Parts: sequence; C-alpha cells; structure tokens
Amino acid sequence: MVNVNTLSDEERLEATQELSKAVANKIRYLQTLATAIDNKDDRLIYQLIDSDHYSEQIIQAKHGSADTENENLVNDTTAKLSQYLSANLLAYLAETYPFFYFEQVDLGRFQFYFGNWWDRRLFGELDVIKVHFDFNSTEYEKLRRAFELEGQNKRLNSDKIAMLSNQADQLQALIDSQGQRDEEKEKIRLQLKKVAQEKVMPWETSKLKEAKQQLVNQLSDLSEQDEKSQEAYRLIKDNENKVLELSKEDTLVGYEKQSVIAKFGTFDAFEARCESLYRDYMADLIATSGRVNTNE
Amino acid sequence: MNKEYERPTEVFKPNTLNVEPTSSAPTLSTSGRLITYNDQLKDSLDNGYHFTELLDQLITTDDAATLFNAAKMLSTYQLDTAYLTFPQQYSQSDFYLIFINRLLALHDRERVILQSSDRYGELYHEFPGINSAGYFIFNLENSVQGGAYYTEKTTGEALFYLSFEKHTLRFNSRALTQLLLVDYHDKIEKNALKGFETYLLDIGNYLKEDYGFDIDFTLLDPSNNAVYQLADANFSSSVIDQLFVEAANGGRMLELSESGAPILKLDNDIVVQLLQDNGDESLGWTLKVYDQQHEVAWFDVLLRYEFLRSWYLKNLSALEVQSDVLYFN
Repeated sequence: MVNVNTLSDEERLEATQELSKAVANKIRYLQTLATAIDNKDDRLIYQLIDSDHYSEQIIQAKHGSADTENENLVNDTTAKLSQYLSANLLAYLAETYPFFYFEQVDLGRFQFYFGNWWDRRLFGELDVIKVHFDFNSTEYEKLRRAFELEGQNKRLNSDKIAMLSNQADQLQALIDSQGQRDEEKEKIRLQLKKVAQEKVMPWETSKLKEAKQQLVNQLSDLSEQDEKSQEAYRLIKDNENKVLELSKEDTLVGYEKQSVIAKFGTFDAFEARCESLYRDYMADLIATSGRVNTNE
Repeated sequence: MNKEYERPTEVFKPNTLNVEPTSSAPTLSTSGRLITYNDQLKDSLDNGYHFTELLDQLITTDDAATLFNAAKMLSTYQLDTAYLTFPQQYSQSDFYLIFINRLLALHDRERVILQSSDRYGELYHEFPGINSAGYFIFNLENSVQGGAYYTEKTTGEALFYLSFEKHTLRFNSRALTQLLLVDYHDKIEKNALKGFETYLLDIGNYLKEDYGFDIDFTLLDPSNNAVYQLADANFSSSVIDQLFVEAANGGRMLELSESGAPILKLDNDIVVQLLQDNGDESLGWTLKVYDQQHEVAWFDVLLRYEFLRSWYLKNLSALEVQSDVLYFN
C-alpha cells in the first residue's frame, strides 16, 4: 500500500511547481521552434532539433547546450521537418554540387544521382536533418579508386579491359589457325599410319610405342584446341559484352571525375567539402539570412 | 534507244495480215478489208502523232501540270501497234529520267545531268561529284502496281520508288544507307553526298508541292516531326550503352532529357533524341532529330558524325530506319 498522505503540503507544492516548470520548458522549446519555423529561420531550427550536433560542429564545443529531452519531442515529426528543411538545402546543394540530381522518394527523403547522363548511377541518400550525404559505398569507392588510378594514367577498368582484349585476341587467333591445325592433324595421321606399318626389331618396340603415343598425344592436343575454337565465337561475343559494360562504367566514372574536378579541383577537396557540409551550410544560412526568399 | 527496236520496220501486206481484224474476216469484202486496214494505219499514225505531242510537252512545257501528264502518259505509252512499229525508241523508263530533269529545271534546281549511253542505247543520270562511282536509271516495276525504281546501275541499289499513277514516292533507307554511307563513304566527298541528298529531297519536295504526292522520306526526312521507326524497336539497352561509350569517345555526352529520355546534343543546336514508349509500350524505341530550321535529318547526322555512323551501321539490325514494306523488303 502506498501512503498518499506522506508528502507534506510544502513538498507537494514544490512537486507541482517542478512539473509546471518542466512543462513550461517544453512549451517554450516548442514555441521557439514554432516561431523559428514561422520566421523561416532554418539555422535556428537546425540548432533546436539537434543542438548537440550543432554545437559540436559550429561552436566546436562538445555537449555545449544539449537539450536532447526536448528534442525528443519532435522525433515523430522528423519527416515533416526534413521535408520543410529540404527546400533551402536543395537550393544550396544545387549550387554547391551541381552534378548531384536529387529525387524525392518519400516525405522528407531524397536520393540523388550523379550526373544527368545515360545510365547515371544512384549515388546515395541525403540526410536533410544532419545535412549529410549518405553515399552508396560501392559507387563512392569506384570514384575514389578512379582518382587514385589517375596517377598511373589508368581508368578504373583499364586492366580488366586489357585482359579481356588480350583474351579476345587469343580466341581470334585460335579461330584463325584452324586451317593450320587441320594440316598438322593430317600430317600426324599419316605419320601414325607409317608407324603402324613399320616393322621393327623386338627390342625396338617400346621405342616405337613411345613414338606412337607421342603422336596420339599431339593429335588430341590439336583436337582440344579445335573444340576451344568452336567455343571461341560465343566467348568473343561474351567478351565484347563485358568490355562494353566495363567501358560504360569507365565512361560514367570519367564523367563523375570531370564533374568533381570542374567544381572542386581535386577529390580531396571534394571530400573535405562533404565533411564540412553542415558547417558550410549553417554559415551560408547566416550569410544569406536563412535563404528566406527561396523558401516560399 | 533499246536494241530491240533497231530492227527494220515490218511491212504488212494486206494478204499476209498476221493479225486478226476486229470483225470476223469471212463477212468482209475486199474493200471492207482495205478500209479496216487503212483505219488501223490511221489510228496507228494518230497514236504516233499523239506520242510526239506528249514528247514535245515533256521536253518543252513550262507548265507543271502539263509536264506531269505528259510523263505519266509516256511512262506507259504503247507507241507500236500491230500495224506500225517505230524502230528508234526511248524506253518507258527513260521518260521518268527526263521528267526528273524537267521537274527540277522548272524550279531552277536541275543539278543532275541527263546523259545518253551509246553503248547501251539508254538514258541515265549522272550526278556531279559522284559520277566516278556510279550512275542512275529507272527500273520499271513490272507487276500490277506499276511505277519504277530509281536505281544505281552498278550496285543495283534502288534508292526510291516512284509511281505517277499512285502519286507516291517512297525512299529506301537501306539502299540509301548502303550506297551513300557505306559504299561511297570512302571514295566520295561529303559535300557531294550532301548535294546528292539535297537533290533527292528536291525531287520529293517538288512532287509534293506541285502534284500532292504522298512521300516517305525515311531517314532523309528533315522535319522535326519526323519519327524514325526502327527495325527492332525493342532492342536491348546495351545498344544505347554503345552509343554512350562511342559518343564519349567522339567527345559528346549522351545526356538525359527532362523526361529521362537519352539525348545527344550536337553542333548548331542539333539534338538527337531516343524515345521510348510513346504512350504505348509496344512501340519500343524511336528516334528523332531536332534542329531549329527543320533542315537536319538523321541521314545528315550520320553523314557528319563518324561515331554515330559507326554506331548505326554496327547495330543496323536494331536501328535501321524502316522503309515502306510494300515496295522494299
């Protein structure tokens, strides 16, 4: 049993005041947020909804004015907030990353493609709240690797393509040498016939046998090559398709590289900008008074 | 003039008539026969005289309608009759050639040269700049549909079908591609090929303007509204992958339009667009070429851009622009 009468009046009053204060605090938080939204003060909204991240990034102080409990109040509103904040953010990104093409997939959710060329790659998703690109790691890695290979004057798939071309040449050679093989086979068959008819002394039979076996082996080697050459046409066709795929990827990544270089100069600079995107964007919001005009 | 006409004139004697008179012979008196014979001769002479009138018109008239009528009549004219044959004659297909020259001359655009071959006894067309490679004649279509095919003599490529009767002109994209983009590609100047294309377009345009012909220009159609129908519209996207790669090698980017269709921007605001699904998925891919002046056709683009030409030729089984199957297959 709980004794409800254990609190003194004084204590009860204090508890009520505490509660009232706590609720008032939440109201104040929500009121501030509502005003920020009314004023289209995106920077303040960012600060309010994730103060921890904000202070870490902007004030460079850890846990400066964390208000996580209040922030939890809008947890179930993230998609709507994200949708609202995306308007200004996308306008900013269009200038900073002109080669990213965003596509809305759901309320407040955006994925982006790299470029506007044929078969462009889906490059990742945008985290509007965190002002952060969640890159598709496979695609991102390809781009990074392409920059790395630049030093060696190679494209992403240069080696693979060279290998496949080499294979294709060999296959073609196999096809082209069919006539030569046919001649050789004929020669060996004649030799075999001759060997079969040869009469030798008993102590020479093993030597003869050996010679015969050698000829048979040669013949089967040639037949094996014949079989391979039968397959060669199909393999060459497969090969061509693979080379096309790889060349396409090289072309795609090549365009991506050019885009990055045109805007940022180097891949490192591009990465650094992505790293500081949140800070840069907050600074931009301050500089442009919250891009108020674009958020109509 | 055809050799077969170079035989001596046959002389018909009344008593060796090798044709049945129209009415039954036994009932005719001798004088009746003579009269009939004489009437036949008169008709034949009239027929010959009418022919010369039409030929006069074909050669000299300045009136488009008269010209057309003369060509149409002459293209099926039977000059010889059982009673009268003319040893020196032009063949019916020659009148098509003459007509083309005269039509273009009426518009001051006669660029093709009408030559006569002593060796083969026929007329032919020579086009300045490509005459080293070939020459052109009309081949009569002998089936009921009539008309004639404008054909390059040495290769046999039939470039278009023309019918006065049906007011129809159909270009043959396959022959045009083979002759102008493959056979002539390495031996003829591009300017000459372009000039020849303009000449072909002139023929089509004047037939349309002057006589209301129904024309299928196929890959020569410069209108932005032209939708080029392709041989296998449901080709795999690897065909476009190839274009993407070859365009990049040719210094161009295959982009996506706002609607997501692949487009290729070329010089002078020329845009090549591949379109899928014109509201109906079964239509597959089609091709369009835009330019501000409505002057550029798919053919022009192929002629000018080597990477497009090689892509088109490599994937002809999918990309070949379709011609009218009624006349070409």
